[in-house]
Amino acid sequence: MIIDTQLASLLTAGALIVIGIFAAVFLDNLIKKVIGLAFIGDGANLFLIAMGYKPGGIVYIYLPGMARDFFAQNAAYPLPFALVLTSIVIGASTMAVMLGIIMVLYKKRGSLKASEILGE
Amino acid sequence: MNLLIPLMVIVPIICALFLNLLHKKDRTIKAIAIILALTLPLLPILASYGIHYFGGYAPLAQNPTLSTGLPSLITGTVLNTFHPAITYAFQDAQKLFIFILGLVAFLAILVSLFETKRPSGVYGFMMFMGVASVIALLLTDDIFNFYVFFEIMALATVGIVLVSGVKGNYETALKYMILGSITSPLLLLGIALLLGVTGNVNITDIIASLKIGVVDPKNPVLLMACGLIVFGWLYGSGLPPFHTIKSAIYSKALPHGAALLQAFSVFTLIALGIIILRIFSYLPFSQMIILGVSLLAMILGITMALLQTDLKRMIGFLAVGELGYIGIGLGLGTAYGITAGLFQAINEVVITAFLFIGFGVIYYQTGESDIRKLGGMMVKTPLVALLVLLAGFAMAGVPPLNAFQSKLMLIQASIQAGLPELGVIMILLSIVTFMTFMKAFHAVYMRPKPADLEIKNEKIPRATILSLIVFLVVCLIFGLFPQLATGFLQAISSNLAGGMP
Repeated sequence: MIIDTQLASLLTAGALIVIGIFAAVFLDNLIKKVIGLAFIGDGANLFLIAMGYKPGGIVYIYLPGMARDFFAQNAAYPLPFALVLTSIVIGASTMAVMLGIIMVLYKKRGSLKASEILGE
Repeated sequence: MNLLIPLMVIVPIICALFLNLLHKKDRTIKAIAIILALTLPLLPILASYGIHYFGGYAPLAQNPTLSTGLPSLITGTVLNTFHPAITYAFQDAQKLFIFILGLVAFLAILVSLFETKRPSGVYGFMMFMGVASVIALLLTDDIFNFYVFFEIMALATVGIVLVSGVKGNYETALKYMILGSITSPLLLLGIALLLGVTGNVNITDIIASLKIGVVDPKNPVLLMACGLIVFGWLYGSGLPPFHTIKSAIYSKALPHGAALLQAFSVFTLIALGIIILRIFSYLPFSQMIILGVSLLAMILGITMALLQTDLKRMIGFLAVGELGYIGIGLGLGTAYGITAGLFQAINEVVITAFLFIGFGVIYYQTGESDIRKLGGMMVKTPLVALLVLLAGFAMAGVPPLNAFQSKLMLIQASIQAGLPELGVIMILLSIVTFMTFMKAFHAVYMRPKPADLEIKNEKIPRATILSLIVFLVVCLIFGLFPQLATGFLQAISSNLAGGMP
């Protein structure tokens, strides 16, 4: 059975978010928590990309010689792709700061256990 | 087009980058930061009302040069009225909000420069960057742009806490980031759902799509988007269940940093609260949710403040409780209620900053914020004690100070809306606020000085005293002439109460 690309993307995004929330809430290792948080962010980004998907669509670049009406009717919606680029950059910066804090805490405490470092 | 509108965001960002480059050049940082911080309250005063389009242009309907020759596929449809750009709207409410934020930021930066032995360029960077992002939150009419600056504000908040050097700041910052990394993608998901349903991220265009029937307002996806955006709103503003982490964040920042951080929370609350009201006010339960959460914030914040022994944590919880008053005003949904809520927001920003910087003098002098270890400070700092006492009166709503006017308006608005019970709760909680404050005031100023309490800095910087006096003057001005503030808020309140402006 061939699953619709958009539906598959949405389901994958949902799975990433659920797995991410599970890891962030239930795992005790800080690095694993951060990986879970990255999953949540990636899930949201994939969801956003899926919003711009157009079955049988073309890339939204207007090439010379292309008919204007053909382009208007077939080009995928570019806005979600533009947004997701920004979102990835924000996610990367957040992740970098979080890992930096974890490095400092590891040097101070010699542990990566969330229950020890962050308390109950 | 008014170029000062984008400059309100661009100037603090440039200031931030500049200060970061000057790190470790103490005197230069001090001089430049004061001059640059002065622009923060000045720019909104000088700017005239209008709309600015970032990286795009005005809607085609207002732009004949561009629309000529375009196919009817574009000009003949609703696309003709859409905003193909990141839109910044500067109206009278924004003028007041940004002026107050600029004033609080200027005074907080001034105090930080004189209370710190070696002014840090990185700390200045974080403060300016946070201010820039909150100004953008207040100006933007684009919900994705809102998300971007929401994230930058969260990072600046973490930065301010990390630079403070207060014990346990890294742990609290990490907790805040973990919670943020769960809620922010959910907020993004809410925005993605809105984009999926309406095909737009411009708030005015989203509302237009709902209004003219391009999108069915009863679409269940919109309901889910509303839920996710409200969740992001709770995190950004520190409403329950995020009230504990928010007050912890305030307690791990230096007092001048905390004064600025609480302003960030209040302005995020009103910026996103206004967006929620604009887009989702047609949903019958949206106002009930806002009212419920706000009531919970008031009760939890103020009662938890009563139990605290750390001054900064106590003010943090009081600040969360005061957020509830703002939410009540927004949740009532009437023009008068919204005006009262927004006026309360302005007052809360000023009063809480006043309290943080006022009690911060104790932290500056003793390095201690635990009220069990403090006492006898009235003899050391009688003028500051008087100013702090007046700040506490202002927060409790004692006339003729500003919060008296806004809380009175809120009680009147709740009676007019047929919810007098809310008025009774607000009065009772104001009494508890006063009790909480007096408990801390007595412990710090009126009790005999503990023998082991060491005074590390005898002399209080003049900048700190000046800041406290400016805050008191603002409290008195808005208390005696409330129309000076409410006049700026009536237009936005009437639009919001009318639904979908």
